[in-house]
Amino acid sequence: MTELRLEGVSKRYGDRDDGTTALCSVDLTVRDGEFFTLVGPSGCGKTTTLRTVAGFETPTEGTVSFDGESMTDVPPERRDVGVVFQSYALFPHMTVAENVGYGLQFRESTERKPTDERVDELLELVDLSGMGERSPDQLSGGQQQRVALARALAPEPDLLLLDEPMSALDARLRESLRLQLKRIQSALEITTVYVTHDQAEALAVSDRLAVMNRGRLEQVGTPQEIYHEPETRFVAEFVGDNNVFDGTVRATNDGRTTVAVGDATFELASPAVDGGALESAASADDRDRFGFCVRPDALSRDADRNRFDVTVETCEFLGESVRVHGRWNELPIVLRLSDVPDDVVTVGFDPDDAHVL
Amino acid sequence: MSPAGRTVFVDRARDCLERRALWLTALATAAVLVAMLYLPVSIVFANAILADGAVTLEHFADVLTDPFYVGVLADVFADPLAIGTHLASLAGWLGAISLSISLEYPIPGTDVPIPWLAVETPGVRTGLFGFTAYQAALSTVASVALGLPAAYVLANYEFAGRRTLRSLTIVPFVLPGIMVAVGFYAMFGRAGTLNSILGVVGLGPFPFVETNPLAIVVLAHAFYNAPLVARITVAAWESVDRRAVETARSLGAGERRAFRDVVVPQLAPAILTGALLTFIFTFMTFPIVLALGGLGLATVEVWIYDRIQRLDYAEAATLAVLETILSLGLTYAYLRYESAQAGFSRAATDRPREALFPDLETMLSPKRLAIGAYGVVALVVFVGPMASLVVGSFTDGSGFTLRNYAFLLERQLDGASFQTRPLPAIRNSLLFGLATLLVAVPMGVVISVLTVRAGRSGTVVDTLAMLPLAVSGIVFGIGLLQGLVFGIALPGGWRLQITGAVAIVAAHAVAAYPFVTRNVSPLLSSLDPAMVESARALGASRYRALIDVELPLVASGIVAGAAFAFAISIGEFSSTVILASGSESYTMPVAVERYLGRRSGPAIAMGTLLLVVTAVSFVVIERVGGRYEL
Amino acid sequence: MRRRTFVGAVGGTATLGVAGCLTRDGNGNGNGGSGSDDGSDDPSTDDSAADGSDGESLSGTLEVVTYESMIDGENPAGPWLKDAFEDAHPDVELEWTLLPDGGINHYIQRAEQGAEIDPDVYLGLNIDDLVAVDDNLEDGGLFAELETDRVDRADRIRDGLDMGDPHGRVLAYDTGYISLVYDESEVDEPETFDDLTEPEYEDALLAQNAQTSAPGQAFLLWTIDAYGEDGYLDYWRDLQDNGVRILDDWSDSYYGAYMEEERPMVVSYSTDQVFAVAEGNDLTRHQVGFLNEQGYANPEGMAVFEATENAEVAYAFFDFVLSNEAQAEIAERNVQFPAVESEYVDLDDEFDEYAHVPPEAVTVGYDELRGTLDGWVDDWAREIASQ
Repeated sequence: MTELRLEGVSKRYGDRDDGTTALCSVDLTVRDGEFFTLVGPSGCGKTTTLRTVAGFETPTEGTVSFDGESMTDVPPERRDVGVVFQSYALFPHMTVAENVGYGLQFRESTERKPTDERVDELLELVDLSGMGERSPDQLSGGQQQRVALARALAPEPDLLLLDEPMSALDARLRESLRLQLKRIQSALEITTVYVTHDQAEALAVSDRLAVMNRGRLEQVGTPQEIYHEPETRFVAEFVGDNNVFDGTVRATNDGRTTVAVGDATFELASPAVDGGALESAASADDRDRFGFCVRPDALSRDADRNRFDVTVETCEFLGESVRVHGRWNELPIVLRLSDVPDDVVTVGFDPDDAHVL
Repeated sequence: MSPAGRTVFVDRARDCLERRALWLTALATAAVLVAMLYLPVSIVFANAILADGAVTLEHFADVLTDPFYVGVLADVFADPLAIGTHLASLAGWLGAISLSISLEYPIPGTDVPIPWLAVETPGVRTGLFGFTAYQAALSTVASVALGLPAAYVLANYEFAGRRTLRSLTIVPFVLPGIMVAVGFYAMFGRAGTLNSILGVVGLGPFPFVETNPLAIVVLAHAFYNAPLVARITVAAWESVDRRAVETARSLGAGERRAFRDVVVPQLAPAILTGALLTFIFTFMTFPIVLALGGLGLATVEVWIYDRIQRLDYAEAATLAVLETILSLGLTYAYLRYESAQAGFSRAATDRPREALFPDLETMLSPKRLAIGAYGVVALVVFVGPMASLVVGSFTDGSGFTLRNYAFLLERQLDGASFQTRPLPAIRNSLLFGLATLLVAVPMGVVISVLTVRAGRSGTVVDTLAMLPLAVSGIVFGIGLLQGLVFGIALPGGWRLQITGAVAIVAAHAVAAYPFVTRNVSPLLSSLDPAMVESARALGASRYRALIDVELPLVASGIVAGAAFAFAISIGEFSSTVILASGSESYTMPVAVERYLGRRSGPAIAMGTLLLVVTAVSFVVIERVGGRYEL
Repeated sequence: MRRRTFVGAVGGTATLGVAGCLTRDGNGNGNGGSGSDDGSDDPSTDDSAADGSDGESLSGTLEVVTYESMIDGENPAGPWLKDAFEDAHPDVELEWTLLPDGGINHYIQRAEQGAEIDPDVYLGLNIDDLVAVDDNLEDGGLFAELETDRVDRADRIRDGLDMGDPHGRVLAYDTGYISLVYDESEVDEPETFDDLTEPEYEDALLAQNAQTSAPGQAFLLWTIDAYGEDGYLDYWRDLQDNGVRILDDWSDSYYGAYMEEERPMVVSYSTDQVFAVAEGNDLTRHQVGFLNEQGYANPEGMAVFEATENAEVAYAFFDFVLSNEAQAEIAERNVQFPAVESEYVDLDDEFDEYAHVPPEAVTVGYDELRGTLDGWVDDWAREIASQ
């Protein structure tokens, strides 16, 4: 299988220097057999990154390599990648079987299975056995999506690239397709790059993921790392619900940091503040602008430290819990409680649960 | 080399060729365009900016300050900075406008008074350019007005012969100008068919042509161009997604509202394409205006022809360059609009068509009566002149005769080698038409492919690719004569000459490929780009992706473009007559012209053959081509 | 005969192909030799067409360029001329070439660009063609000055048909007369040009564009002859006020408008009735009118290209064209009037009956046309077309 590496990849549109920069010096390694996700808001460069890997875009600078082999001058059809698009891009004038079999005619070796067998095998893989003779427009969205996946997998690509493949489907369907996709991916052990704007989806399916913003990588890591240890404010805010506070460092001693936010003060555990952050926090400038975040599930009515009053605005009943949107000192706060609270609820958090940005 | 080795080699070679096929086609297209278009045209255009070997703008200055050409604008061009003076004369003109209401009796033979709002404007000297644009605008309006109802009926109703009728809409397009003029006189003349019919019910004869020559010229332009508008619009209408209309209806839009909000926006690009082409064609009209309207209605093209005749190339080229600039400017504006419209889903849906003649009661509904009325108009305007031509080919002073056809037959059987025979003309026309189609389709498609997603630069290239439509046919012909027939001097006393069949096909292809491009580009730009990318990721080269995915999906546009290419080739006269000179490569329109002597009969008989051959070819072409449409 | 040509064809049916042809200049017109060079045809030329019986036979191919109706109309004279001429000179081949679309301009441009000129003889030259040649090329160019003593029958040509070329490049072989054709059931015959501006003839006349049409130009020149350079535009303004309609060319105005009875008068040829009778038409609509008792003569001439190496055969051909028999055939088949005095030609009675000769023939000669024709036409056209 294949390891994908991007080194210093930049992409600018327009001829002049002030042309829009879609990608800015992206360095990335996707390991062999890994399910890797690029996540970020629209326009962050995730799709451009994927298209650069596929060969649809030529990077302005930097190189893309598969297993150490530079792909710079290799056209898309020679890269052995399978691509699934948001629009599925099924060929409407071909049957399902013809769609799936289309890539097989370009295989270099002739020793592989005959096309028909391979097509049947793939349709079975995506639970569409017997649909081969249908026309794509006779299928539902989810079925079309699976045909697109089967088509991409048919020529046994080294790399599977998925560009927002689920975004046109409803939530329940997405979930089941996601599971199916993950199952197929791990069975085939194919290196996969998945692009989505949905951070929950990214956390759910990925072995590792990269959060992108404005053409740059904000953070690369496992879902756990990204969720619990966001390295930047953007990641903290983008991935999952989060409460971000900005304050001023008042004191650092005894493994505890005291931070003033407005007229309140919070006490954070210094271990949560790693060495570097502490060092940097030591500079006068950063002391004045010190950020940290606390996940909603860490804010509890029972906590006895760092308590503050939240004015409740809306509540969403999620079944096992209630998501509460409120405000404290004009700052939006998200809570996750076991039941619907009163108009004002007092919550606190353990110093160890705060994550310094 | 072992057989296996050879297979590998052949595969490699094919692979290599396939990989470059698109670029090779583009290169070949560029080569044809350079040899058959840019070179000949620039040879003539160069005269506009050269005087005694030096570059000059004096020819433009001469034309632009001559009130004969540009009317009142001459003062503006003469002294563009005297804005105050120009504004003052504009204000003076506006101040002189007067309105009056009176009772008039405009319907001849009746005394029904009708309140008449008269706007008295002091005359504006429009100049040749102004008048040319004015009659082109009128012709465009008339062509759209006469073409749209046809498109509506053909796209929405089912009746016996609908497909055949649709195929036949191209026929007026190929008729030589002189035949159209003769046909119009035979239909609308004082002794023409229409007056004979009216005479049966005791009306007339009316001097239709004499009463308003401009109206007849405009009608003749509509005869040519309304079918063009109809063809382009029918294609778009048939691809309007019925579901979108149904969605609008379900959202509470009435039938008219749904039409306005859903159908019209999807038809607009097609209608505008038709209108643009009509305007450009009628702006450069020749010789219909003079044949029907007279020299009083002369257009710029008439003067270009005259200047060329007088060997005054500088002025001819200057006029032609101005014409081309105007046409290309319009084309560019239109293409900017077209590219802004990209993204319509144009999947051809199988539309259910209403029966046109369901039962008597429905037949009497206002809608059906309106369609019936349109049918009568169409019969008079389109069928009338052609039918009158056919009748004319069978009559002489003493009534029914076959002598005109006997002449053609005799000429075919006994004609000397230096005489024009009908069968070679028919054969050449069909062969050139087919060859033109085969050359123009790849040319047009490759230009579509290269420009369709290339943004503004694509629009610029696309505009320049429309040059064949925007260049005066007379200039193109003279360029071919000076460039290719006389030959281009090469070092060492050699001359490069290109004439005969190959040159004719190439010239036809150059004239025809813009129609392929205009038919294919909108469809291509509405395709999901991910479709091609999917194919490429699956291992298909750009060329294979084009062949396997894009082309089948835009087949309807290709077939439509191919039909136009064939029609352009069949009807082309001005460059054919120059390139066919001195060879056996004459075509049907050339034969018509050559048979036109002191007796018109043989030429009209040949014109009738041209009509019949074209009609049959189109029914066949579209039946065959229809199989490839989705 | 053919120049050395190298033809290279690339491509096939499906691919683009350009068949080009490279030719080398100055490689001679390699014409197969021009017969005898002593130039002495039998001086005692009799009236039979097929002479050339002096035993010294000519040989080679004579390429003659001519207009369509000479060779490609209905029963044209061209094929007859070829057969008869070749019968008279068994070793000579006459090759007809259809005049290219641009007419004389085609050859003027060829000469300007140094491109080869293939034909030896031009049959159908008008006075204004010569003017165009001399206005654009050097004086007396393109065609060779004729040694008329080598054409024995040249002196049979009628007075007034010498075409006035100061360089003596052309011999007339036939002539036509521009006249009016009118419908006697609708209008009376107009006697004079001035009559046409009378109310009686309001909206009655069809004419042709002098820019593009030969009869149109002839009619314009006729009015210039009648009213002078300074008066003709005033006359045309009067004509316009009286509703003259100027269509593109003779076919539109005659077959389109006139024969569909749009108007009762058209500028046409004085041979009109010959065709009308052949067509089976009633002659009431085919009356020929000579204004001011005149017709405008349009003599057609023959000339030999400067570059020819076949002058000998060309002279023999000219002589042949002026023979009794050829003159009669040209006249009757092409419906034109012979160029020779009447004692040298016998025409059918029917021709004499229906082809009308004006009492007086008018022509604006070479000297007046030279350098002024374009200006006259242009001033006129701007007057008509002004918007």
